[in-house]
Amino acid sequence: MLPDEIRATIGEWLATGEVDLFIGWEPGTVPLTATPAFVRRPDEVDRLIWDATCEHNLARFVRPYRDKTVGIMVKGCDARALIGLMQEGQLKRERLRIVGIGCDGVIDPRRVCERAGVESVEELDGAQLEGDVVVFGDLRIPVAEILFAGCETCNQRDPQVYDLRMGPEHDETSLADRYAHVEAMAALSEDERWERFTSEIAKCNLCYACRNACPFCYCNVCFAEQTNPQWLTPTAHDPDVSFFQIIRTFHLAGRCVACGACTRACPQGVDLRLMLDKLCADVAELYDYVAGEDPEAKPPLTTYRQDDYNDFVL
Amino acid sequence: MSIAGESTNWEPKILAFLCNWCSYAGADLAGTSRIQYPPNVRVIRVPCSGRVNPLHIVSALRQGADGVLVSGCHPGDCHYLSGNLYARRRFALLQRYLTYLGIEPGRVQFSWVSASEGGRFAEVVTEVTEAVRALGPAKRLNVRAESIVAPMELS
Repeated sequence: MLPDEIRATIGEWLATGEVDLFIGWEPGTVPLTATPAFVRRPDEVDRLIWDATCEHNLARFVRPYRDKTVGIMVKGCDARALIGLMQEGQLKRERLRIVGIGCDGVIDPRRVCERAGVESVEELDGAQLEGDVVVFGDLRIPVAEILFAGCETCNQRDPQVYDLRMGPEHDETSLADRYAHVEAMAALSEDERWERFTSEIAKCNLCYACRNACPFCYCNVCFAEQTNPQWLTPTAHDPDVSFFQIIRTFHLAGRCVACGACTRACPQGVDLRLMLDKLCADVAELYDYVAGEDPEAKPPLTTYRQDDYNDFVL
Repeated sequence: MSIAGESTNWEPKILAFLCNWCSYAGADLAGTSRIQYPPNVRVIRVPCSGRVNPLHIVSALRQGADGVLVSGCHPGDCHYLSGNLYARRRFALLQRYLTYLGIEPGRVQFSWVSASEGGRFAEVVTEVTEAVRALGPAKRLNVRAESIVAPMELS
């Protein structure tokens, strides 16, 4: 559902050289999942789509082209990621042409699997999105029932930065249950929390898909692949897996915009939101900061206050 | 040193990151003043508590430390003016985060000890050592712990 006038403007940008490259989505080969599209010529604009299968956070793909002018389509969360990257000096606003989309959430194909009683997303072959309904064989499931878990509690559906705007506008919804899953885990005993964490992490096979999907994981050499010193072995043994996940998620403290790209990218279904949302909640509580809101704000770990929380010190 | 859990006369192994300007000098003063403190700490001198990466702390636990202590200058006293203030933000988040994930809170501790506080340094080390002793050998995240030597089965 890409409006004709938006498509025409993108074509014009490409034709006039206003942008060198436009990054959007096109239909993918995995059921109910779009794929990122890199469009360089006006006649390719017809490939672009927008619907609830467009789950990738395209902000992840801009940085390699930061010396060019790049057009990009962003949902609310992706726009927050762009703002975060601008704060960190990775992108310049004047080199971006942003098509901002008011988003009602994206599909989690795994939830469709549950409903359809199949094991893997590949088995959903033939599933189609028709309007607001996913059709798979005889099954008709409204999109609202199979949204990605993070989308269900999202309170920033509308992009904060854009040049062109499309899609619905939303009222700010309440933050009330945004962190319900974090609070549920925090309420467990210490042993239960460790059990919950390790049972989630036990699924991880260190493929680094989460890192590769994350717009903020842009280190040239990731600590996981550093060889001198070598911080962890690249085999999927615990505790190296827990170690990798703890450190990678902690690197996102105060930066994670909760777009959920990592969790959706995970082939093993590790719920990384359980970890990252804890950091988001703590950053909000201790430093009154929400990532990706204000391009001028300083990320919380790059600044300090004399009267910061100090009770944890002996 | 015995491998965690094997021996009955187990002693906690504690890694201490001490900043060059305050806490390391404080440890030095404790020594020159002949103040007794538990010999369980292994000290790594760092230029500033701001140098300590959470990666170092979690890596220490992974490699078999039973506890980690990070100590720097009191807020306002940093040799580099603000290194410990940046560090404080990181450590506050890290300690809460590790606790949330199920690591015992006593395993990773933070303190501010100035160069003139030899006695305070001995107190901190005693306190941390006793806390870690009460917790017992670290099993969580520890590569050497018996419970986690089996590699993930490949199907």
